[in-house]
Amino acid sequence: MKKNDLYSKEEKLFQDKNKIYSAQSVKQIVYSTDVRDFGQVAKSIPCQDACPAKTNIPGYIRAVFEKRHGRAYELNRSANILPGVLGHICSRPCESACRHGEPDNGVSVGICHLKRSCSDLKSGSHRIIEGLYAPTEKKVAVIGSGPAGLAAAHDLSILGHKVVIFEGLEKPGGMLMYGIPEFRLPRDLLMLEIKNILRLGIQLKTNKAIGVDISLDLLKNEYDAVVVATGCVSPRKLNIAGEDLKNIYNGLDFMKAVNEGQKPLVGDKVIVIGAGFTAVDCARSAIRLGASDVSINIRKTIEYMRIDETEKYEAQFEGIKTVSLIQPSKIIGNGNKVIAVEFQRTRMEKTDTPPYRVSIPIENSQFLVPTDSVIAALGQTPDEAVVSKDLDGLDGVFAAGDFATGSSDVISAIAGGRKSARAIDEYLIGEKRKQTVVRLENHETTDRQRSYDFIGKVEMNTIDMEERLSKATNEVETGYNDDQAHEEAKRCYLCNLEYEIDPLICIYCSACIDVAPKDCIKMIESVPVNSDGTYGIYEETDDWNNVVSIAIDNARCIRCGQCLAVCPMDCISVTKTELIEIDT
Amino acid sequence: MKEFNIIIEICGSAGEGTISAGEILSRFMSGQGFEIMSFDSYPAEIRGFGKCVAHTRISTNRIYSPGKLADVLIALNDKHSISQLSALKENGLLIYDSQPPRPHKEDKSVVGWAKPGMISYGIPLNMLAHKAAGNARGMNMVALGAVAALLHVDQHGFTDSIKVRYGKKKQIVIDSNVNSFLEGYNWTEKNIKKIDPHSFKGMTPSKQKEKLIINGNQLVAQAALVANLSFYAGYPITPATKIMEILSRELPKHGGVLLQTEDEISAIGAVIGAGFGGKRAMTATSGPGFALMTEFTGLSVMAEVPAVIIDSQRAGPSTGMPTKTEQSDFNSAVSGGTGDCPRIVLAPTDTKSCYEATILALYLAEKYQTLVVVLLDFFLSNSIRNINIPEKPSSKYLDANIAPDKNDLKDYQRYKITKNGVSPRAIPGTPGGMFFSTGLEHDVYGRPNYSEAGHLEMTQKRFAKFNTVLSEAPAPEISAIDRDEFDIGIISWGSSAGAAHETVMSAQKEGINASSFSSMMVSPFPEKALIEFADKCKKILIPELNFSGQFASFATQILKRPVERLNFITGRPMASEDILQKMRDM
Amino acid sequence: MPFNDHYVIIGNGPAGNHAARTLRKKDKDAKITIISDERVPYYYKPKLTNFIADEIAKEDLMVNFLNSYKAKDIRIRLGQEVERIDSESKTLFLQHMEKINYSKLIIASGSRARVLPAMSRYANHLKFVTSYTDVMAVKEEIRKAKDFFIFGGDLVGFKFLRLLNSMGKTVTILIYPNAFWPYNLTDNMLAQITESLSKFKVDVIVKDDISIIDDKNGLYRVKTQKGIEKNVDMVFSFNGLIPNIDFAKGSGVDIDHGILVNEYLKTNVDSIYACGSCAQIYNPSIKSYTTSIGWPNAVVQGEVAAFNLLGDHKIIESVGRKYFDLEGVKIKTIWWEDIDDEV
Repeated sequence: MKKNDLYSKEEKLFQDKNKIYSAQSVKQIVYSTDVRDFGQVAKSIPCQDACPAKTNIPGYIRAVFEKRHGRAYELNRSANILPGVLGHICSRPCESACRHGEPDNGVSVGICHLKRSCSDLKSGSHRIIEGLYAPTEKKVAVIGSGPAGLAAAHDLSILGHKVVIFEGLEKPGGMLMYGIPEFRLPRDLLMLEIKNILRLGIQLKTNKAIGVDISLDLLKNEYDAVVVATGCVSPRKLNIAGEDLKNIYNGLDFMKAVNEGQKPLVGDKVIVIGAGFTAVDCARSAIRLGASDVSINIRKTIEYMRIDETEKYEAQFEGIKTVSLIQPSKIIGNGNKVIAVEFQRTRMEKTDTPPYRVSIPIENSQFLVPTDSVIAALGQTPDEAVVSKDLDGLDGVFAAGDFATGSSDVISAIAGGRKSARAIDEYLIGEKRKQTVVRLENHETTDRQRSYDFIGKVEMNTIDMEERLSKATNEVETGYNDDQAHEEAKRCYLCNLEYEIDPLICIYCSACIDVAPKDCIKMIESVPVNSDGTYGIYEETDDWNNVVSIAIDNARCIRCGQCLAVCPMDCISVTKTELIEIDT
Repeated sequence: MKEFNIIIEICGSAGEGTISAGEILSRFMSGQGFEIMSFDSYPAEIRGFGKCVAHTRISTNRIYSPGKLADVLIALNDKHSISQLSALKENGLLIYDSQPPRPHKEDKSVVGWAKPGMISYGIPLNMLAHKAAGNARGMNMVALGAVAALLHVDQHGFTDSIKVRYGKKKQIVIDSNVNSFLEGYNWTEKNIKKIDPHSFKGMTPSKQKEKLIINGNQLVAQAALVANLSFYAGYPITPATKIMEILSRELPKHGGVLLQTEDEISAIGAVIGAGFGGKRAMTATSGPGFALMTEFTGLSVMAEVPAVIIDSQRAGPSTGMPTKTEQSDFNSAVSGGTGDCPRIVLAPTDTKSCYEATILALYLAEKYQTLVVVLLDFFLSNSIRNINIPEKPSSKYLDANIAPDKNDLKDYQRYKITKNGVSPRAIPGTPGGMFFSTGLEHDVYGRPNYSEAGHLEMTQKRFAKFNTVLSEAPAPEISAIDRDEFDIGIISWGSSAGAAHETVMSAQKEGINASSFSSMMVSPFPEKALIEFADKCKKILIPELNFSGQFASFATQILKRPVERLNFITGRPMASEDILQKMRDM
Repeated sequence: MPFNDHYVIIGNGPAGNHAARTLRKKDKDAKITIISDERVPYYYKPKLTNFIADEIAKEDLMVNFLNSYKAKDIRIRLGQEVERIDSESKTLFLQHMEKINYSKLIIASGSRARVLPAMSRYANHLKFVTSYTDVMAVKEEIRKAKDFFIFGGDLVGFKFLRLLNSMGKTVTILIYPNAFWPYNLTDNMLAQITESLSKFKVDVIVKDDISIIDDKNGLYRVKTQKGIEKNVDMVFSFNGLIPNIDFAKGSGVDIDHGILVNEYLKTNVDSIYACGSCAQIYNPSIKSYTTSIGWPNAVVQGEVAAFNLLGDHKIIESVGRKYFDLEGVKIKTIWWEDIDDEV
């Protein structure tokens, strides 16, 4: 390794090395497009990297800590236009990546709960900030008002384009409105955040289904660009005998009916088939419809369910059983009414291609499970009846969200919507108007206290079983209060603060290693450089003769600040790193 | 009340607060009314990563020895504690750090080596220390908190002890230590389900008189001060340094003078000089320093100048093992040096008798105008006991010089032949009391005289002091068991005597009929008492901490019968378990 | 340097110990290590209730003399918890941050008391008799207490109920039909059990659920959803056992309710086997996975796992009766066994 590589960032920060010696003496901001900085940000801020929308998570959690909930809300909204909604129902890939949840570090920070907090706790007079561009006189049609459509519409509108949303159903929101049960997502919140988007001057036309009420060709002619964000609405079928009997629902239709206020007949005993969020939502809704014996039936094992631990726990809490390693083989009816499902046992097998572990039915292992109703929540595929999802954008028609990617989650759909908005803007204007850079700023403090590392996760407040059953729409989770949010925010390591030892000043006293809470400060021999230019895993050595530097491994560092406190040479700097969008 | 006896060891690396944790534990337990004995072992190197062990025995009954195997081992450092596991009882408790900052390689964690039967409790010591004070320094206090919770010790009393220990430090230091203790206590109480029987619950010994928590070195210094020491010269050496350190602070306050010389030869020279000048003077050293002093010791005897040498023995020869205890200077103390050189040697048997021996040494040296050697060892110097506050010596011990009267001064004979060998000694400056003083053989005036008769007469005079000095020594300690005959008699000396006495008690429980004998004065030796004792015993066992059985050889000459020897040079103090094992085999 | 295998066994119960012995019998040179999160050596879990009743002494709970491990050169690591397994590098990460490499691994980690999420808000007030540590903590208290509330049921629960009865305690039991997880009692069975319990001095509550348990002046107030209220000294939960398999999550080993193994007790990862009550074993004759409890099953499975690990292909079979007796009601099972049976 060239020695210069070690110092490149300092050089960027302090271009005049002769003048600037201590990291504390100067506040200078650098916008970097260096691939190494992007790599470093991705590696050392794992939550942000895991977020499809690249939300500035440490940034907004710090704002929650400071009780600047409005600021936190806006930081969220700059990446994801529905912060309150996502604060309720996000699939939380960030929490799985959170460094606080790594082995020996405890439990992940309640990132999603904090997102909800900034929405719940922001001032009543909070104002939304939008950086509006001048009108472009371009017109864009967005088909579908789900998360992807809303995100695309919002960003296009910001960029100065005139946007009209066409929604096939009566209300906007797509899956958010019709797929997710109200006990998880209050509808007034959803509508508020949708209205916040629409007020940019976006026109919403409901009950305008594409291919039914209006044709794609017409839109193509009338608009400069069209975004197809119709999501995934074609339910996967069980493809087994008896599927057309009465009291057999597909998950989406079932949820839609429930969300429209209907009370689908489920009876006492309900069999839900499927392993995702929808299956759990259906099961929990069935409980609220009066069913007493509800089971979720999955082909693989519980480990492979596509839901998070909270959902598993809540389902179990509400008395829902999970039966694993079975798959339905036949549905038995009496007349046209279902009376039982014939299941077949399965076992796990490996494959050489993704998903690597599959379930294989065991022959002649059938058995019957009596039931009053069946809900098949196997997920959905895009409805390609009107338009194929293989769009190249050349004729001004773009695909976004689940429609383009296949069934995913809300935060991915929002990210997808934004991404297509940028592509459409480039298509309409002929150049890139925004770019992402790494903002590096010298930071004077650690913003943390060691005691924060020992705070246990603040559990979400929930209502008890009686209240859950008394009204099906009663929201189960009730959010953090001000103090709880502040406390939980303390737990964030603030991984956006990068710690670095200046090897030119370091005297190798190893005082920092003595106080290190874990193996975060290392005596290194060399730092490999990856093919993309980012740094690899430090090569450590115990032999002083080979030590080229004492270095902080930001992927292990929990930002406790102990090293900073003991360093006799003041050679440890803290740099705040953020991904931001700037005009090109 | 039930008998209660527990040995707690804390093992860590130098600088981890191992020793101070042990000290706090001892102080607290003493304050609770328990008998305590603690003995720390630490590396010779001043600073570094060596192994430290703080060993504390706590009991409701009198403690004779530190005990060999611990009931509880607190492992502050995994590497060192793995080797220390061999000193943990088979059903002992191991308290270890369950969440160290860096992962262990395979087999580098102490708990991995705990034997089945031992009960290990993992406490996140490092993590809790960080939690309490933001760094790992309070690990020792966290560990004490964990132990206190596990053994049902009163936490408030304990925190008070910590506050006292750090009372002179900044408030933040006190708070950090107290918080670390409480963190360990509360975590353990909440998270550990105890399955071992050790408990202090219901163990509240009656509060006794105020006790002094002190080690042998401190007591020697204290005794020297009360015994009117006015001059100390010395050169520092482990394990005797502490004596000089204390005196350097305290002696000037008492009007005395402390001189740090360039080496031990110079030190003993200065001491003899001060003694010649009529001042009570002493030095303290260890084996290597004592060897350097040997030549000068002859002068003290020949010129009949009082001198006291404290020799705290350590493992030798040469520099040897500076921080390991041994009883291997017996021969050189009793018979080292040139010529027929009688001297008094006292070997205190426990912490308290270090005090008595020092006072006695200064008294005897002055009264008998000769050299007195006090044989301590690393263990006696450093082991800490809680003892009753020692009494002030009677005036007899404070001024013992037999001064010449008017008649004597008419024709002053400094080396006048007397029945008990002691001649009236004139302090330089006494009118009419002029005399010659030399290392050469001399006549009664001190003038050189090499005649056959003269040398014989003077040698006899010097040895004659031995005839009466024995009556000044405390009677030998014989474990008071009312029988006329014993299967085994243990004869011990110095710091091994406690273990020997303890062995007698445990041997009785096993049906072995035994008794033990020890004498603080080993030169001259109370031979008559020894023979009387040995005559009651079928077999004689002599345990001591040296390889060659120096005392056993010495005793054999007196007893003129074979004795069993038990010799250890492990660097650890004598353990009653080992003596008992030997007795079973006999 | 000759390469010796390192066989690591997680769990120090009958399955783990018999696996270790079998391995030693067949392989004199291998390194064998047993790891257990319990702090005491191998003991008779089924005898814990007898110990509570003072029918046996603490020493009688122990199966092995300590030196038999030494004699067989089996290293035993007690009070040490496995936190996770990396099956790729064949490394175990212990909770105290030590890493152990193995060449073959047998998981025999057994099971622990099941606590449902619905119980979580009063879980602090519940007592269990599942492990040595539990029992040490409650034994004295049981002796002093008078009024007991048992909820759930399950085999140990009924055994405990009989024990309390013989000690002259006042007992209330709330029977959960699903306390026998993975088995559910039918209404008919429930009625029969209630009937047969009438010979004891016990209040039986069925078809109800706990609403709240709270702590008042050292007494526990138990309130059911149907409004029954009891003030008792101790509340015990007997809701069956769930396998101790948290450490295997994310290791690449398939887990469901237990560790999934085939009829040879091998997991989907070549070098890892599982046996005893933590294993969910494929039974080709009924074409389904089953869990087992009971000492004899564990012993046989431990031995079979060891044989197969060494290259054999023994198929595990159930031992003993196919029924267990619950207060006179015969419940047909495949793998269940009256846990009173011992080797």
